[in-house]
Amino acid sequence: MRPENYEAQRQPPSYDYELNIGPNHPGIEGNYAFKLRLNGDRVIAGRADAGYLHRGFEKLMEGRLWIQNLAITPRICVPDPVPMEVSYCLAVEDLCGLVVPERAQWLRVMQLELSRIAAHLFIFGGHAATTGMYTPMFWGIADRDLILDLFEEMTGGRVYHIYNIPGGVRRDLPDGFGERVANTLDYLESRLPDYDNLLFTNQVFVHRAQGCGPISQQQALEWGVTGPNLRATGLKFDVRRDDPYLVYDQLEFEIPTEEPGDAWARALVRRREIKESIRIIRQVVARLPTLAGPIRCPIPNPLAWNVPAGSTYTRVESSKGELAWYVVSDGGERPYRTHVRGPSQMHAVQVLEQLAIGCRIEDVAQIMFSLDACPPEVDR
Amino acid sequence: MTHIDQVPTPGAPLPVEIGVTPGAKRTNPFAQVFDELVRFAQSRSLFMLHYCTGCGAVELPPAMTARFDMERLGIQPMVSPRQADILLITGYVSVKTLKRVILTYEQMNSPKYVIGICSCTVNGGMYWQSYATAKKLNDYMPVDIYIAGCMPRPEAVIEGLRGLIENIRNGRADAWKDYYRRYDHYLGNQQRLFGADWQTPTDVIAEARHYDLFGPATLGAHTALLEQHQRPLEALAMRIEIPELMRRRSRADQGGTAQ
Repeated sequence: MRPENYEAQRQPPSYDYELNIGPNHPGIEGNYAFKLRLNGDRVIAGRADAGYLHRGFEKLMEGRLWIQNLAITPRICVPDPVPMEVSYCLAVEDLCGLVVPERAQWLRVMQLELSRIAAHLFIFGGHAATTGMYTPMFWGIADRDLILDLFEEMTGGRVYHIYNIPGGVRRDLPDGFGERVANTLDYLESRLPDYDNLLFTNQVFVHRAQGCGPISQQQALEWGVTGPNLRATGLKFDVRRDDPYLVYDQLEFEIPTEEPGDAWARALVRRREIKESIRIIRQVVARLPTLAGPIRCPIPNPLAWNVPAGSTYTRVESSKGELAWYVVSDGGERPYRTHVRGPSQMHAVQVLEQLAIGCRIEDVAQIMFSLDACPPEVDR
Repeated sequence: MTHIDQVPTPGAPLPVEIGVTPGAKRTNPFAQVFDELVRFAQSRSLFMLHYCTGCGAVELPPAMTARFDMERLGIQPMVSPRQADILLITGYVSVKTLKRVILTYEQMNSPKYVIGICSCTVNGGMYWQSYATAKKLNDYMPVDIYIAGCMPRPEAVIEGLRGLIENIRNGRADAWKDYYRRYDHYLGNQQRLFGADWQTPTDVIAEARHYDLFGPATLGAHTALLEQHQRPLEALAMRIEIPELMRRRSRADQGGTAQ
């Protein structure tokens, strides 16, 4: 690798060249690299280079107790950690046949939806920044912090809150929490017109995002696209509605969809999902005072917990798409095998490689951010 | 491919020389005032390259933007390692990332400071049993400040940065010198992880001579291994020297032989 050892190879004259983006680059989302083959500023081919964040989760979990694994599950996806722990708890409950008290289920829904709003605010700020507009990024991060404050009060942690345990949640809400949630939601809802003025009617963003990285509905289904990216192609699929878990079947909410399937549609779907999540949390806040009772069911001694043998697949809708755990138990104290079906694996590797072809170099970052890929979840 | 067996086993550890000489003062009073001013300027205009190695990167946007506002301390993000002063390692470092981190660290201009955020950089943290991560960051590069926690709050990050600013003011933030003084030690740890043929484009030994930090522990068994896999370093060592300095040195050599 030293310069004096490097012998330049003679290439035939052409305008093609290679460009590496990442892993240390402001236009890439996290520790992730993307190699481009360019002709002028057109991308001929792109190749994802993952593995910078690999920690070997699936192997690590085989060596830890069922209850210890709760501590590392949220670390898989950093901006949106809650669906990870909820989905893992659902898997363990499914294997053990535990019945979660209703109050705990509503608390979980509240936590999930707060996390979805936080993740959407974070990513749409990042998406705006790739088109050269930094104000939405500052606003999004500042508003996301309000939700992190709620999380801190509710669970004790800002980003990682190991709030769920198999059988329920760890603690009940503090006094007056519903009121503070309602205040924050009112504030966030009053901010949405500001976001529309700043970003979604801004011609700089509209012209950059419309027609950028389009996916057709058939392609989306072939490539395994889920979540807001799939709904941006016009298909009304949401795990919360089509395979309800927790108490989502008792809640009223819309599934926002858009037709074009480009970066603009994906941003708009997220913007509308924030509003639906606010609506869901309001229903939860209204319902919680009527639900008295325990917040978790009794579980055996967690340090010597032999989960019955079997396998299960539990899926939830995270802010990035469909997220699932496949957990196999051989009746021991530790999982026999675990596997995460993360949405970002498809979005950041195969979809991004396909969408990059033919686009211009400045749009690559925008496509990556509009797909809302999460590198730690790609590598695990 | 990997030649771990060829890497010499570590000898007795050498004493760490970080922060041993707080504010080594020059005798000239004008020089003292000048040094004080330089240190003040350095401590108040820090450019931070945040290599988003892990989870900790998610707490940096709040720390940098409106709410906690790192910029009031004179700290700004910087995209290029050549212009950055601080290398922020935010979380666990997998082996693949660590290679890039070391390349980035060696590209930065001195004085440079390394901050390890999150417990994973201190001792492996939550991934202590992982096959894919490097456990202790200061085995591979000298670290000025560690900020423990999983993950540390933005207030903790800013508190750590203020500690660094204080150290720079007092002249104690000289961990980067340790990389040149004990290059053999750090290179040995890198070789044990990456294989005996590990090398970087930066000629650290020539830089150590350039900064007058070439010491007895700069060269050793591991740098000898480095030379086995490449040509001698002397040709490159010439390139970094300032022509004026070289002319003066050659004149002094001629004078020495005449006497």
